[in-house]
Amino acid sequence: MSLLRRAERRIDRRDSGETLVEIVLTVVIIGVAVTALVSALATTATASTTNRSTVDADTVMRNFAEAIKDAALRCVEAAPIVVGYTPPVGFAATATPADAMCPAVTATKRLTLDIDGPSGVHQHMEIVVRTP
Amino acid sequence: MIRAPGTEDRGAALILAIAFVVMIGTIGAGLAGLITSSANNRVSLQTLRTREYSADGAVQEAVAMVRGLDSDTTASCSAADGTAVSTINSIAIRVDWNAACSIIRNGDGELFVQRNVVFDACEDVGAVCVPSAVIVRAQVNFSDAPSGDVTDTFVQSWSVNR
Repeated sequence: MSLLRRAERRIDRRDSGETLVEIVLTVVIIGVAVTALVSALATTATASTTNRSTVDADTVMRNFAEAIKDAALRCVEAAPIVVGYTPPVGFAATATPADAMCPAVTATKRLTLDIDGPSGVHQHMEIVVRTP
Repeated sequence: MIRAPGTEDRGAALILAIAFVVMIGTIGAGLAGLITSSANNRVSLQTLRTREYSADGAVQEAVAMVRGLDSDTTASCSAADGTAVSTINSIAIRVDWNAACSIIRNGDGELFVQRNVVFDACEDVGAVCVPSAVIVRAQVNFSDAPSGDVTDTFVQSWSVNR
């Protein structure tokens, strides 16, 4: 009888110890994994926002370039190139030189376009226009 | 009711933990792949756009050049074919052009030169643009006055091929 009780106590002790270790290990592993997962999700969200801003900036750049080319279609030699383009909220579009004139019919004009967008996004491109 | 620990329970926690870590790792790898893929797509989009506008600009320069080449000639089919290389957005673009030229007479008996010039723009590799490499192909009609000066340019077609 006493032998049986001793055996019961030994089994109880071993069970209790394993459960505690398992719980501690589980909590640590889950904690590390969840932290890693949350960090990965946060990084993905940031990268996604930056990507979206960049793609939006690309669209703004294309629209701006097309607006300038469209304005150049109405060009008259030595007259200013009048561009009617308003970038979306949060974006700034600039063309250099700002006061470009329509080139002679046998020449072309190079314009440098810059787009600044949210999240510090910046895009730069050169286009060429001519007087028809 | 005392149950002795079964041998089949041993190590279950470790296996579960490994499975959990593998699952989280898979999710992490998926997210990393997503970010990389998006970034690559964005870079491709930008490269494509820059190349397209560079080719467009090179053709514009070639059109102006061809127009200038003909300004001092009389009513003859000159400046038929040619090549020019422009560097725009740090990309060297080659433009090859060839012209189909004809001389027409108006109702007053005046002679006019009508030239249809086809411009092919591609990335410069030191050789003539092959059709599969053409980025922009444009067909432009130049109308020349009897004096030889170009009076108008009409863009017949302007296509971005790749």
